[in-house]
Parts: sequence; structure tokens; C-alpha cells
Amino acid sequence: MAVTAGPAPAPGPAAPGPVAAPARLRPVRIRYFVRLKLRLIANGLRGQGVRVLGFVFSVTMGVLLAFSGFIWFLIGGELPRADEGMVTAAFTGAALLLGWLLLPLLFFGVDETLDPARFALLPLPRRTLAVGMLAAACVGIPGIATALALVGAVVAAGTRAGPAGALVGLAGAALSLLLCVVASRALTSAFAAMLRSRRVRDLTAVLLALVAASVGPIQFFASSLALHTSFASMLRTVRILGWTPLSAGFVAPYDLVHGRPLLAVARLAIVAASVLALLWWWSRTLESAMLGGSSSAPAAAGPARGGVVTALVPAALRAARAGTFLGLVARELRYWSRDPRRRAGLISAVIGGAAVPLGLQVANRGPGHLSLPMTLAIPALIGAVLIGNQFGYDGTAFSMHLLAGIRGRTELRARAAALSLILLPILLVLAVVVAVLTHDASGLVPAVGTISGMFGTVLGIESVLSIFAAYPMPESTNAFSISSGTGGAKAVVALAGMIGAAAAAAPVLILSAFLSGGLATLVAPIGAAYGLAAVLIGTYIGGDILERRGPELLVAVTPRR
Amino acid sequence: MTLTPRLTLTPRRWCAGALPSTVVIDGGPALALRGLVKNFDGVLAVNGVDLDVPAGSFFGLLGPNGAGKTTSLSMAVGLLRPTQGRAYVLGHDVWADPIRAKRLLGVLPDGVRMFDRLSGPELLAYQGLLRGMPADVIDQRARELLDVFGLADAGRTLVVDYSAGMKKKIGLACALLHAPRVLVLDEPFEAVDPVSGATIRDILGRYVAGGGTVIFSSHVLELVERLCTHVAILAEGRIKAVGTLDEVRGSRNLEDVFVETVGGRVATGEELSWL
Repeated sequence: MAVTAGPAPAPGPAAPGPVAAPARLRPVRIRYFVRLKLRLIANGLRGQGVRVLGFVFSVTMGVLLAFSGFIWFLIGGELPRADEGMVTAAFTGAALLLGWLLLPLLFFGVDETLDPARFALLPLPRRTLAVGMLAAACVGIPGIATALALVGAVVAAGTRAGPAGALVGLAGAALSLLLCVVASRALTSAFAAMLRSRRVRDLTAVLLALVAASVGPIQFFASSLALHTSFASMLRTVRILGWTPLSAGFVAPYDLVHGRPLLAVARLAIVAASVLALLWWWSRTLESAMLGGSSSAPAAAGPARGGVVTALVPAALRAARAGTFLGLVARELRYWSRDPRRRAGLISAVIGGAAVPLGLQVANRGPGHLSLPMTLAIPALIGAVLIGNQFGYDGTAFSMHLLAGIRGRTELRARAAALSLILLPILLVLAVVVAVLTHDASGLVPAVGTISGMFGTVLGIESVLSIFAAYPMPESTNAFSISSGTGGAKAVVALAGMIGAAAAAAPVLILSAFLSGGLATLVAPIGAAYGLAAVLIGTYIGGDILERRGPELLVAVTPRR
Repeated sequence: MTLTPRLTLTPRRWCAGALPSTVVIDGGPALALRGLVKNFDGVLAVNGVDLDVPAGSFFGLLGPNGAGKTTSLSMAVGLLRPTQGRAYVLGHDVWADPIRAKRLLGVLPDGVRMFDRLSGPELLAYQGLLRGMPADVIDQRARELLDVFGLADAGRTLVVDYSAGMKKKIGLACALLHAPRVLVLDEPFEAVDPVSGATIRDILGRYVAGGGTVIFSSHVLELVERLCTHVAILAEGRIKAVGTLDEVRGSRNLEDVFVETVGGRVATGEELSWL
């Protein structure tokens, strides 16, 4: 656990002691932080095939995003009217900054390669630390990708307002890059400071997962709004946006076009002031972030009554025969509700999964739309993928299973059963809701088949995949942090598993597409049998592999310190 | 089974009928390591460890930091696959016949998490169910263990919110729950307060007196000297000295023997003169 002990040494007069002659100390230079970061990235990749793959994936994504940002800025410079260019630049810039603020919290996790807590015991002035961490934060795929995208803004400013414009554009872009990095760092370390107690932290994880899951639906809503908005109202928005740090740096070159250089300077000053203010605020929160989390939860009331087994096993399962399988199912159920990582994943999957059929079926009923059973297979897929890193969630706690020498098949089946107990009822309710909303009762019975067929197939395949592609989660205080370099690997594994599993479930989907009328009812038993068979086969194969590879799996999910 | 007011942790009592009778090999070592080697990407962490832990002994494994104690013990209990070598628990090969061997073993690993989002009682119940124990036996033993370790008051507090010492104690309780014949404990006294330490010493002492075998690693030489019947000193991935406590220390005290064996150095007074 990354609990750092003790406060940072307070700057001030040195404590009296047997100090003879203090050696001359060289000031800590910023480039040390940058070199440390680079070294940590390089070491993280050493001898780890999957990580290298993930890194390549991240770089590819970075290049793609950098390129698209670059193009958007460039388009802003080429549009016939300067107003149009200004609107494009302002919105692209604002989107960039919002992305920096939200994406780390919601999706990618906070890169803890340089965790402020690790510097807690070094006598570094707060300013040095803040500036050093900032420089290190710029070095990395997101920072470099953003810098590349911003080159487009500079070029566009140059084409609009000549060399002076390029200069203002350069200043605006550089300040905006700094703003992106500082804002994102400040936000995450403010979170770290806020999330002192484990309870608050767990709760926030759930809230953030809710926000994250709502991004899709909101985007849906926003894009339809954007389609019906006139250019004039967009221009009005930009006039306001241009005076906020979000876009001021990108609107500044257009002041030169309009012959008002003082306004440009004022806008740049706004961005610079925001950077400084955030930097100051961040360096304040850094200190509390360095102290680490204290988990002094109030003692839960009273000693537990009744037997310990009834305490573990949920009431609904108490009739079942006590044994390894029951224990595993009960513990998995507890963990899906208690482990903030799992809970966040579950909530995202449920909301994100539900949004797909609701969006497709309710909003879009034109010709050629997907049938009800087809669309409901998608949330089943999203839900079942949750077990893709089931061993990574447990981390080194998995050693308990290894020491007890439990059968691999039992373990995998219990894990699949627990997730099914949670998700299948939800999926069925979702099916009924969508069927009622679309007045499509005839699709309901085959939908049961596609849901269970898809869910079971994905569970079966991911059961095997989760043994080979397990990756560690840091045993950190931050539920959103990921080990550096695993973000990409995570995406690769999830993507490959999803595609493979969807392909394996194809027979059921095809059946549901071709059978109609009374015959469509057959899809339900066939799909259920298909899904069940897939789980049994997957866990049968996976179980043997798990028993053989148990120790290797434990190494794979052990976070590297 | 009759309820006794005090916990008497004799494996004999708890194991009666619970274990196949064929497994006890009289006279053989409780734990035997043969030529264990672990090579981490070219770094030899453990370089040929041979060790016999006699049945019924209280065995202390000593060694400086990085000597390979945790690595050796992990290989001995089936958590880490050895590059070479074998480990036997009461005659059962840990890597060829893991189910038998693991049934006889109770382990407190160091530096691994537990399922710490369960409460203490839940964790014990989970351990019992994983080991295939009947529910009433789990209930009774778990209650005794929670009482004797002073964890009953923690109630429904999750293990993640326990203090470091409490975590050690619940880990030890988990290792004891199925009444193993051999206990392998990695740093069981670390972060434990003196009162709890005394409790643990007391329990382990009674366990050994009842016929169990304990092997534990530690840095604390005084503790080892007080508790152990046998010691081994591990350094640089090899066993440097092994035997009964008296054989190893001879007429001197254990600390001198340890420092000499490990090849440590004693400050001469010349260095760190700027302090």
C-alpha cells in the first residue's frame, strides 16, 4: 500500500544537531524530473511484451489525436471567413482543454509515474517540486500529442495574420498547453487531497463512474443540439468563450486580424494568469497530496452477530450447500459491490450498456434499424467483458486461492456465476423496458436468447483470456490510477476479447435475424443453451490452464513497485 | 466436539478425522527443500537452498534484507515457481502434488494483500469455505480465533481499515483456521505490538508443543533466540548455517554469529566522520 509516513520536512531553520559543515548542495534542476520521468517510462517497458504493445497502441492513438487536432486547427486557418476560423479555433481549443480535464479522471486514469507522495521526504522547495512535476507531466504521450496538434494553431494564426499572428499564436498555444497540463494536474491532485478517507474515496469512485457513463448519452444529446444551432449563435458563444482561459489563447490571433493588438495581449494575459493561479493552487494541494491518505474509518458498529459464514454469504444464497463454490460466489458478490474499481466498472457497464439499445431503439426507428434482440446483445457483451481482468482486480490477494489449492474450474465458474447473478436480471429488465418503450413485445422472447447467448459466450472466452492477459492494478489510494503503460494494454485486451467473443456468438445472432414469427421463440432456448455451453467449455479449458499457470498468474497481477 | 473456554490450538485435536491419516510420515522432515533456485531475469535471488525442517520444531529462518527469505518461502509453499529444485511438505511434493501438500500447510505470506474488503469474520469464513470446511466448524473456530487475537471487537470493520498489526493477526488467524500441520510464516511479528506479539508467541508455542511445526522468517534475533529450537541463516540466496539453536550459536550470542556468517561489517569509527 502506498501510504507514506510522516510529513514533509518543514522548511525553516535547521534543527540543532551534530552537524559539522553542511556540504554545498546543488539546486535541483527541472531537467532531473524530466529525465526521471523518461527513465521510468523506459523501465516500465523493459522486457514486457504486452506493455510494449500497449505503449505502441498509446503512441498510435496519440498520433491520431494529434493529427486530427492539427487538421482542425489548420482548417480554422483556411476557412474563407475569419469569423468561421475563429469559431473553429475556439471550439477546438476548448475541447482540447476539457479533454485534458476530464479524460484522465474518467477513462485513462491518472498517470502516477511521478507520484508527489514519493517526493514527500525530499527537502524540495514547493516551487521546485511543482515546476518539476509540471515539466515531467508535459513529457509523455498526451503532452507531446497536444503540442503537435497546437502546431496547427500556430500555422493557422500565421496564415491569418502574418508573422505577428504566428508569434501571438505561438504564445497562445504554449500558454494553452501549460494550462492543459496544470489544470489536469491540479484537478487530480485536488481529488487526491479530497479523497482522504477510504469511504469518501469509494463513494466518489461511484459518482465519477456515473458521470463517465453519462458522457455517451450527453454527447448524443449535445450533437443533436449542435446540428440545429445557427452560426450566429455559435459566434455569440465564442465571443464569450474567447474571454475565458478555455479559448482565449486561440482567439488572440484573430484580434490582430481585426486590428486590435491590445485585445490579443489581454487575452494572452488571461491565459497566463490562469496558468499562474492554477500553478499556485496546485502547489498548495501538492503538499497535502504528499501526505497521503489516512484511512481512519469509524469503527463499524458492534461485533458481528451470528455465524461468520452467514456474515459472508448473502441471504439469498444461504440455502446453498456450503463449500468452495459458494464461498467464491459470495466473495465475488461482495467484491462487486465493495471494491470501488469493480463497482465503478459495473456502473459504467450498466449505464453505458443500457444507453445503446435505448438510444438505438427509442431515438432511431427508421428503416434498416437493428432488431430488438440484436441491440440487446450489445449490453450483454459490454457487461460480460467486465471479467476480462478479473484476476487483476484481486491482485496479490489471489495468492489466497493459490494457497488453498482450489480447482481452477470451480474458481472460474464461481466468478462467472457471480457476475451472471448480478447482470442477467438487469439485462432482462432492460429488455422489458426497451420492448415496452418500442411496443415491440414480439422481440422480447428472442431477445432473451441473444442476451444469454452473447453473455455466456463472452464469459466463456474472457474466462480463458483473463488468465493470459491479466495485468496488475496499482495498490494505490486512487481508484482511478493505472500503472504507467498499462492503459494501452488494457484497451488492446478488451478490444481483442470483445471482437473474438462477438464473433463466437454470431450463430445465435444470425439465428435471431433469420427466424421470424413463431419460430423466433426458438431463439430463447437455443441462445440460452449456447451461452451455457460456452461458459462450461470456456471454464473447463480455462480451469486446467489456471491450475497450471497459477503462480505465473500471481506474478502477472502483482503490481511492480 | 466439546466447546472449551480457552483456545487450545493443538493440531491433533482439530485434525482428528479431518485429514487422511496416511500423510503423517514419522521421523521425516515437516518441510524439505531440495536445491531450490530462483532466477529472476538473470538475477539469482535464491541459489540452491537445501533445508530440512524437522517435524515438531520451531524453526527460525534468519537473513539480511534481500537474502531470499521471502523468495524461498514462496517457492516452498507453492506461490512462486522455482527455476530448479523441489519442496516437500511432510513428504508431499508441493509442485507435483499441490493439493495434498497445501492441505497440510498454513501460510502467512508477507507483502501480499488479503481480500481486504471483507470484514475479519467474513475473511475467515471465506478461507474456511475455500478449504472445504463444514460451516459449523468454521463458525466455531473463527469465533475462537477472533477472540484469542482480540479481533472480535473490530466487528464489521473491513480488513482494509485494520491497522498493520491487526492485518498480521487476521492473516495468522486465516493461516491457522484449517488446523494445518505445518505453519510457514513470513515476518509474523512485523508491525505487531508487544501485547499481540506475546499472544502470537504463546499460540505458536502451544501449537508446536501439540505436535505442529512452525517455520518463520524474521530479522529480530532476540525473538528467534527466545522462541526457536532450530535456526537457519540465509544470505545471498544460500543457507550459510543451519542446525539447532545451540549448534548454530555455540557459546556466543546469536547476533555475533549472524553478523559474522552474513559477512557484515562493524563500524570502525573512521567513516561518517562528517556526522
